[in-house]
Amino acid sequence: MLSLKGVVAGYGGGSVLQGVDLECAPQTITCIVGPNGAGKSTVLRVISGLLKPSSGEISMNGETIGDRSPDEILRKGITQVPQSHALFPAMSVRENVLMGGYLIRKNRALLRERLDMVLERVPIVATRAGDNAGNLSGGQRRMVEIARCLMLDPKLILLDEPSLGLDPRSLAGVAGLINELNQAGTTVLLVEQNVRLGLGLATHGVVMEGGKVRLTGTASAVKDDPEIASLYLGGASGSAPGGPSSAGPKTEAAGV
Amino acid sequence: MTHLVQAIALGLLIGGVYALMASGLTLIFGVMRIINIAQGAFLILVAMLTWWLWHETGIDPILLSVVTTPLMFGFGWVAYRLLLSRIRGSSASMSVLLTFGFALVIEGVLNITAGNKFKSATPSYFEESFRVGAISLPKAQVFGFLAAMAVLAALYFVLTRTWTGRAIRAATQNPSGAALVGVGATGTAALAFAIGSATTGVGGSILSVLYPFFPASHYDWISRLLGIVVLGGMGSLPGALVGAGILGLAETLTATYGSLNWSTLVFYIVIMVVLLIRPQGLFGAKLREDTV
Repeated sequence: MLSLKGVVAGYGGGSVLQGVDLECAPQTITCIVGPNGAGKSTVLRVISGLLKPSSGEISMNGETIGDRSPDEILRKGITQVPQSHALFPAMSVRENVLMGGYLIRKNRALLRERLDMVLERVPIVATRAGDNAGNLSGGQRRMVEIARCLMLDPKLILLDEPSLGLDPRSLAGVAGLINELNQAGTTVLLVEQNVRLGLGLATHGVVMEGGKVRLTGTASAVKDDPEIASLYLGGASGSAPGGPSSAGPKTEAAGV
Repeated sequence: MTHLVQAIALGLLIGGVYALMASGLTLIFGVMRIINIAQGAFLILVAMLTWWLWHETGIDPILLSVVTTPLMFGFGWVAYRLLLSRIRGSSASMSVLLTFGFALVIEGVLNITAGNKFKSATPSYFEESFRVGAISLPKAQVFGFLAAMAVLAALYFVLTRTWTGRAIRAATQNPSGAALVGVGATGTAALAFAIGSATTGVGGSILSVLYPFFPASHYDWISRLLGIVVLGGMGSLPGALVGAGILGLAETLTATYGSLNWSTLVFYIVIMVVLLIRPQGLFGAKLREDTV
């Protein structure tokens, strides 16, 4: 469905991504993990068109999208929920969600239909409809951010650190929503610092380091990889710390 | 007591007109972080055009805003596309320099074409008043206030009930969040600048009746408007409304109980006191929090 081949991109002079290869199959949840500065969020930014790659190819269902503008990519059904501060704080929850349908604003019937769908899937949009988004808690904001991106009925949702700053209860709500969306047919690509949560939620895992993909595999295979366990999950017995670059072929290219 | 009611009534009438004039400035700042120093010059440009049209045709100056408003909308759109879009992403201080230069050019052109003399449009009702009990309300001020309120209501409607308005508010509150839902930055900014400029279409027409003006009057006006916007909170429309009301009341109350000479000074003292307590202005924090 989504494919990145040899993508190089960065800010200013330097390249954060140094040849990223990545595949997302339809209806999967792929979780990118890795240390700070590995380029995880940058991958999402090049996919959503907010950052142009300097080389490499990005395609969605066989169509090249690496050179498209952010709104063209939105129209292709790819939406992004950034790390934080995506909402319009002095606008109501309902207006925030409506703004998610900005690109389909001329088709009132479709807009209405999508809004009804979102209200059903994300009940907080209905219960807090008139409140300003700035008055919501962190977890509620995240739910509204996800609800907003559903207005375009996306085929692929890019989520940047959905767990950031959330308490366990809010986290469970957000994770439940991601699962529901996936079961309804949406493909999800998420970046997560909370490796246990991210890989627990995902069907597939990707480990990034130094602007490159070091390891891919099914989420459980990545999670069980002794080196990953040692580096990110607080230690699995017997594995010596070392760069994930030396990760064995066990999980590599395991169906992602 | 009559004096007090009279002063408050006049203060609110004039405050309504100030609110309209400041609304464009605060809207432009809110969306683009552009401090449009030329907003005062836009007002004088419209006042001059209105005066000339009134002089030539005899059509009511305030009614002429039907002509000047779309003209200023187009003028603002072109000015943004040709001039201001070039400094997109630069600091607000760059916008001060550019728009100050723009104001000087407008002033120069007006000096050459209209001459450096005071002008004032004086329609038939210019010296007439409505009497409400013991209170006397000059007709020109009442008409100006009503026109200003009508435009502010239209602006409120556009901002809250239309997609264009929602896009402008979204871009004001969170530019990167707006980009994520497909709101184009350049188009929204050009529209906001055009709408902000269009408010001077009505504001300038009212100004031509209520105040004598000449090309360099824009310095006086931009300092008042900036004062209102800073007091209310940069980028906040409700702030501009309240700030304008305070300026109107400060002027008329000081003129009634003190002296006309002190009326503007009192307003600036109010600004200083407010900024000491709330550096972001009266309504400043609300729009900017959580958007950084």
